[in-house]
Amino acid sequence: MDKTKIKETFLGGIIRNNPTFVLVLGTCPTIAMTTSLFQAFAMGIATTFVLIFSNLFVSLLRDLIPDKVRIPCYIVIISTFVIIVQMVMQKFMPDLYTTMRAFIALIVVNCIILARAESFASCNKPLYSMIDGFSIGLGFTGALCLIGIVREFFAGGAFAGMKIPGFPAMSGTGASAFGFIVFGCMMALFNFVIQKVNERKEKMKAASLPLSGGKAERLGEVQV
Amino acid sequence: MSEKVKSMLQGVGVLACIALVCGLLLGAVNRFTYVDPLAATYAQFAEDTGASFSEMTDEEGAGYGDGSVVYYALSDDGGWHAFLASGGGGYGGDVQIYLYIRGTVIEKIVIGENGETFLGKLEEADFYSRFVGKDVTSLDALSVDGVSGATRSSAAVKNAVEAVVQYYNEKIAGGENHG
Repeated sequence: MDKTKIKETFLGGIIRNNPTFVLVLGTCPTIAMTTSLFQAFAMGIATTFVLIFSNLFVSLLRDLIPDKVRIPCYIVIISTFVIIVQMVMQKFMPDLYTTMRAFIALIVVNCIILARAESFASCNKPLYSMIDGFSIGLGFTGALCLIGIVREFFAGGAFAGMKIPGFPAMSGTGASAFGFIVFGCMMALFNFVIQKVNERKEKMKAASLPLSGGKAERLGEVQV
Repeated sequence: MSEKVKSMLQGVGVLACIALVCGLLLGAVNRFTYVDPLAATYAQFAEDTGASFSEMTDEEGAGYGDGSVVYYALSDDGGWHAFLASGGGGYGGDVQIYLYIRGTVIEKIVIGENGETFLGKLEEADFYSRFVGKDVTSLDALSVDGVSGATRSSAAVKNAVEAVVQYYNEKIAGGENHG
């Protein structure tokens, strides 16, 4: 157990490898399910659950699965957990299930999950794979919720289903085309902020180097 | 045995094992989450009408055109005719609707199980209310305007409503009156 690796894996999934804004995977559910915050959140949670468990099982079986049949194996594992999500939702959240049913089934072919199974879980230990699944899921949920908030605000003049007084709905903003525009703007903003933060970090590093060097020299002088 | 055959058999074996384990897992989960369709229909009928139902007629999908009636029930006070109907021709297969008739007038339509992705458009256009308040003895559901952009979902709902209309006129209004 390596604490720095755990931390790196966890933060990586949310920021550096954010599936929606950086890797740009799973665009289909991103556009389809972000018409409201609640739907976006539900989709994110369902995907996170599938990600965690598919990553765990792919990682556990990574030495057993022959290279030639690995993709069918991953699909079988992923679809199992998607069906579990479906069954649980049908039993306990029938209303939500009625509106989301087609999209829940489509999680099977969500490329985020297959990509994580192929690129991470198949060559890492189960614990790291689960953490990766969890953080990628969080990154996806967060991104979906952000887009959901903006889209719901414009298309319905509401936040999480509650009407905000004084903000009427803008016609035409409920369409998927507007969803793409919001998605693009969010992506640009996210990457801009990340870039600025990185630049600042580098500058601080660069600035601190000569300073510490100077300090060492001064210390040296004192010693002499 | 050649190397090629061996690796192939290995692949098939592993895949079959994984599929078997996954199947068992699903079976186990299903024991907890199984919803009895009859009980679920009773619950939905009662929730939507506020009336109580104790006798369900299982029509086993009696077909009328592209639609069919799955369950029919008359409420205990005789006021409500409740239907679970299914309409074909949807974008993602059949669309199920719950339809409630009071007297001979359609009171309420609630969407049930479906595989549609454009149901939001039907709701936006207030599509279901185009049937509400209509008299089933004279309604031609298929001639109701659909919603553009969700033509096939509208068609599936129309087929389901039409099935109920035909069923009602044939079995309930005509002769064998249950109420």
